[in-house]
This record gives sequence, C-alpha cells and structure tokens, in this order.
Amino acid sequence: MKQNLKFIPFIFLFALIVLLGWELYFSKHGELPSALAGKQVPAFVLPNLFQGQPSLSEQDLRGRMVLLNIWATWCYACGNEHDMLMKIKNMYHVPIYGIVYKDDAQEVIRWLNEKGNPYALIGNDKNGDVAIDLGVYGTPETYVIDAQGKIIYRHIGAITQTVWDQVLYPLLQKSR
Amino acid sequence: MQFLVLLMLICCQLVHAESDVHPFSSATEATRFSALTKEIRCVVCQNQSIADSNAPLANDLREKIYHMVLQKKSDADIKNYLVNRYGEFILLQPRINRVTLVLWLLPALVLLIIAMILYPFFRQR
Repeated sequence: MKQNLKFIPFIFLFALIVLLGWELYFSKHGELPSALAGKQVPAFVLPNLFQGQPSLSEQDLRGRMVLLNIWATWCYACGNEHDMLMKIKNMYHVPIYGIVYKDDAQEVIRWLNEKGNPYALIGNDKNGDVAIDLGVYGTPETYVIDAQGKIIYRHIGAITQTVWDQVLYPLLQKSR
Repeated sequence: MQFLVLLMLICCQLVHAESDVHPFSSATEATRFSALTKEIRCVVCQNQSIADSNAPLANDLREKIYHMVLQKKSDADIKNYLVNRYGEFILLQPRINRVTLVLWLLPALVLLIIAMILYPFFRQR
C-alpha cells in the first residue's frame, strides 16, 4: 500500500506534463474566438454612412448567411482586404454588411467612390459604441452570421484569398 | 526649488484634468469607477489595465464603464457585460467558475505535489 502511495505525486506530475504538452503542441495559437460565437448578434442601430439612406441594425443581417465587416479607412490592413471584399461580392455573391469604425464619413465616401463599394449596407459607428457591443478588438474584423442572426465565426485581420478558401467559404457552404 | 514647485503645479494640473474627464456626482461612484477600470484588462495591450492604458480601445472601454456606472449598473452587471463580449480574458483577476477552476486550483495542486515528493526525504532524517 505504501509503495503505491509513493507513485501518486508522479502520476500528478505526469498528468500536468501531458496537459502542458497538449497546450503547447496541439492547441490552436493566435486564434481569438469571439466570446459571442454561437450567440445572437447583439441589438444595435447605426445611421447609414450615406445620409438619408436606411439605418443598419441587427435585423438587416437576418434571412441568409452574411458577413459583417468592421473597418476604417485609417486602417492599413483594411486597404489590403478591400480587393478581396469586392471579389466576394462580385464572384461569390455573399452579402457583406459594413460597420465603419471611428472614421470621417466624407473620407469613407471618397474611398468607396475611388475603390468601389462592396457593402450591401454600411453603418457609421462614429464613437465605437457598437464595436464594443460586438466585442471588437480592432479593425478589420469580420463576423460570419447565419440566417437566424447567430454569430458563427469571427475572423480577426484582413481577409486574404487563403483565409477565404480555407476558413470562411467552407463555413458559409456548410451552414447553407 | 523653483523647478520642484513648477513640477508640483504641473502634476496638480494633470490630476485635475484627469478627474474632469469623468465627473461623478458621488464619491462612491468615483471610487467604483476607478476600482473597476483597474480590474479590466486592456485587451490590446500587454498586461495593462484600462486605467493604465491610453490605447484607443481602453479609452472607449473606460467611457463605456463610466456611463454604466452613471446608469447605476452594479459591478457584477458591468463585468458580465464585458465578459459576454470579450471573454473571461478581459478580467485581470478571473472569477472562479467551471472554466477557470483549473487555473485557481493549479497552484495549490502543485504545492501539494511538491509536499508529497519532499515528505519522504524529511521523514527519513
């Protein structure tokens, strides 16, 4: 009996090493899952970037799979992903809704006129309130939202062709 | 000496300016606000609270907490609101629950293991 007791600490230690090793080699690094994943998009209303046009609320995101892209013209990575967003709109026909994060409306309109507008609707989040409601860390961030208005996935950083092919598009296909 | 006085004056100004940004009508609310902002992690910084950080997101979160304190929301409500959106990670001191239980128990467990390993050696003497 006493002999057996001696091994207990080593079993603990072994379990600990297995746990740490698993964390080190098998857990996904750099992934920041949204705390809202699997939950409904929180209720919000934002004025349209273009004056006089309908506002953007969580109701607009229902009915089909959509992307919700939080971005700004002052954000460098957002410039990088713009071409990809245009491609998603024109080639893959997935509706993209935009939230402009802490930006100057005139500047944004100039940018969209120059580079094209991939967004079905753009809300203007001037002071970043709605961004906090969504748990946004920074721009760009893209949420995949299903037909019931539930957040399925959040991608942090620019959408590249690789990200689209390997992560976002399969998600959209699967949930369709 | 003159320099010192000048420095003190500047510091006073700074303190004054700081408190003006978030005016409260009661001392309790002011204390709650400063305590809360010290417990909330600035998620885009390295281990700083939002009270210590000047990152834009930290400013926004401070602003949000300020308004929630003014709306008489309880500490628990405010923390819940943030955890629901940013995850348990946003609290500098994680609460004890199913997810963080391992985190809290691990130090005690490790101490216990060390004690168990060392115990036979001490008994032999």
